[in-house]
Amino acid sequence: MDGIVKNIDRRTLLKGGAALGGGVIASGMPLSQVIWAAEGKVLKVALQFELVSLDPGFYTSSYEVNVMNCLYSKLTHFKPGSEWGWDLEAAEKVEQVDPTHIRFRLKKGIKFTGGYGEVTAKDVKFSLERIINHKSGSMGELGSFDHVEIEDEHTGVIVFKTPYVPVWTITFPYASGHIVSEQAVIKATKDGGNFGMKPPAFSGPYVLAEWKQNQYTLLTRNPEWSGPKPGFDEIRIVPITDIKTAERAYQAGDVDFATISLDSLTTFKSNPPPDTKVEEHPSLRTIWLGMNMDNPALKDINVRKAIQWAINVPQVVGTAYGGQANVATGSIAPGIVGHREKALVPPEGDLAKAKEFLDKAGVSDLQLTLDCDNSGIPGIIAQTIQAQLSQIGIAVQVNAQDPGSFGTIGQESEGDRWKGMQLFIRNDNSLPDPDYYMGNFVKAQVGIWNWERFGSDRFDELSAKAVAIEDPNERAKLYYEMQDLLEESGAYRFLTNGATPIVYRTTKIKAATRPDGVPLYLDFTPA
Amino acid sequence: MLFYLCKRLVLAVTIIVTAVTLLFLMIHAVPGDPAAILLGPRATPEMKAHLHQQMGLDRPLVVQIVTFFRGLLRGDLGYDVFSQRPVADIVFAQLPYTIELILVSIFWAAAIAVPLGCYSAMRRNSLLDESVGVVAVATIAIPSFVMAVYALLIFAVALRWLPAIGPGEGFVDGLVHLVLPSFAMGIGWVGYISRLVRASMLETLGENHIRMARSFGISEWRIVYRYALPLAILPTITVLGVGVAWLLSAAVFVEVVFARPGIGALIVQAVNARNYPIVMGVVVVTTFLIVISTTVSDLVNASLDPRAREKL
Repeated sequence: MDGIVKNIDRRTLLKGGAALGGGVIASGMPLSQVIWAAEGKVLKVALQFELVSLDPGFYTSSYEVNVMNCLYSKLTHFKPGSEWGWDLEAAEKVEQVDPTHIRFRLKKGIKFTGGYGEVTAKDVKFSLERIINHKSGSMGELGSFDHVEIEDEHTGVIVFKTPYVPVWTITFPYASGHIVSEQAVIKATKDGGNFGMKPPAFSGPYVLAEWKQNQYTLLTRNPEWSGPKPGFDEIRIVPITDIKTAERAYQAGDVDFATISLDSLTTFKSNPPPDTKVEEHPSLRTIWLGMNMDNPALKDINVRKAIQWAINVPQVVGTAYGGQANVATGSIAPGIVGHREKALVPPEGDLAKAKEFLDKAGVSDLQLTLDCDNSGIPGIIAQTIQAQLSQIGIAVQVNAQDPGSFGTIGQESEGDRWKGMQLFIRNDNSLPDPDYYMGNFVKAQVGIWNWERFGSDRFDELSAKAVAIEDPNERAKLYYEMQDLLEESGAYRFLTNGATPIVYRTTKIKAATRPDGVPLYLDFTPA
Repeated sequence: MLFYLCKRLVLAVTIIVTAVTLLFLMIHAVPGDPAAILLGPRATPEMKAHLHQQMGLDRPLVVQIVTFFRGLLRGDLGYDVFSQRPVADIVFAQLPYTIELILVSIFWAAAIAVPLGCYSAMRRNSLLDESVGVVAVATIAIPSFVMAVYALLIFAVALRWLPAIGPGEGFVDGLVHLVLPSFAMGIGWVGYISRLVRASMLETLGENHIRMARSFGISEWRIVYRYALPLAILPTITVLGVGVAWLLSAAVFVEVVFARPGIGALIVQAVNARNYPIVMGVVVVTTFLIVISTTVSDLVNASLDPRAREKL
């Protein structure tokens, strides 16, 4: 009771009194809007994730990176717009000295909060090397990174063991490129490890003013920030894990920006809430049907090809996404280097040809299992494929599992489940570089993330070569061939890359996103 | 009374030990590796082993259970390596939101259902009694998450009378934000409690001491509220105590639908991420909560009924 009474301050009482006094009915606004209406330039956004860590070296989800972008500076950042590109951020200059060395020079005057001084090359070195030293899950973003050599306070050279081109599209502008204060992190964690949700210092335009788990994250302007000022005084990020709830929250006026589900897109387009802009962006996702090549039922390539040809991809996409997503031509999403113009197997498939393959395999009354996660869309895809395969006499049993269980079904370290796994729907997120898409299909990943257990020396050779080629056109050719190899194995039927529809209130904000619809809050401007 | 409380304490410990041990066995039997989920596709076996070590998952199951209980005796629910925070801090930060949601749901469900049940009993087989019966069964039949979705669509999205999400800030705003979720959770209880009160009241109204009171010319309303209700309400209080467990389950859905903080939303996130320390922490706390609520309902029963007091 004491706590309750203490919570009632004058402001709260006035807000509550005013709201309850009839303002609600008079204005037609929900109470929450009435209460927050008069509080400066506040950006209110829905985030489909509850933050777990704001440490760029140990983050757990891409959603956390959206927030980190506001809190820390990094050498480069993604440009908003419809084409992938990057701009300098904390770096005054970044240049490729030779294939394994990149020199950077930091802008002067970027300060850490809390009296931790200026952002220096030493902090860049610390920020990158701690990821390796602590064997963080972000290590994959650093590729063949080895160490950083410091030349002077603001200049350093990033050294790679072997050439690594994705440094420009992943390492620098994404999560692991964020610069944290060595002094502050060591003081907070002793060993330079994960500081979780307690960032000891900030180097970006905003600071974390308040974080209430499962309630909101409040970012306010960094008083020590000397760079260009973003458009909003505060960013209020509301975690709404259920996308349908996020849609309702937007419709009710509780947030002004939200990502919506693809199955709601038609409704939002045909009957948008007032003052709303609906935007569709291609996604970086890749969703495919995989086949375990080591399973006895799928060892024969003719069986796998029969399955490939029996699947009508536009039909699957139409059923699962209401036709609002693309038909994939391969693993790599549109707009990314290596995206193929078309698949080897026509998207519509061909039932007659599928039956031919099945006859060639001499198989009849085939019964297979199809595993997927139970997050909704994969289940619909699985059921559609189940119906399609029944047309060539293959009976499919769909096993939908929770994401935690499904996520390890093909991993040898998790027991023998991988042996019984036959067909499965993978729905993987990615980053804007082809290496991130293809890295899971190399032989070293068999039994880890290569659940098809596909193995090809040629593929591995191309994969190793492709990360070192700077010319995007030349690089793309290798990825075309790699996707061809995957498809020729019969173990893959690429379905879609999905899409990311967003909505925002045009009377309040002008949203800015990456080409894949991921919000760049720093580039949002008030309407 | 002291013996009763000691007995309850022993029972609480036994229930917690049993629940935690069962849960420990279950979560380790279910496939899914937190390291694989957290570290994602680029995780090497070395990185996974490192995280297993940090989480203590590399140790034998028995050692993990013993370590957990040893920590529990010190009031330590463990450490969440994902967010680098003590589990107790995480769980207890969320718990008040679930408790307030449950209490408000029970409060207004009882405030509506008890008078409704009494009135139905007094006007047995009348049109109102029949109507209340039909509505009661209908509300019991509708799951709370369905009610939550429609309440949200109608009152937050279409009418815009109430906020859609979150817990609000401060006391008044917090209450406003509680209206829809507590309605969704409590509505099923209105039907259930009103039926229970009606049945119990009919039985009590037929007893000798009530007939005696009537023969003295005491008004019907006084008989109902002064003499019958204190006895007729006893089964309802017991049910409300046990009902906390049911409401905790309902809170999981309601908290997700209304994007409210609380241990329901927390456990959903933790189970999906296979974040075992959080799952264990929530289960310990909810088990304790259920034991407390049943104890409180027994004590309230005892205070209302001298016969029950003698059994304590």
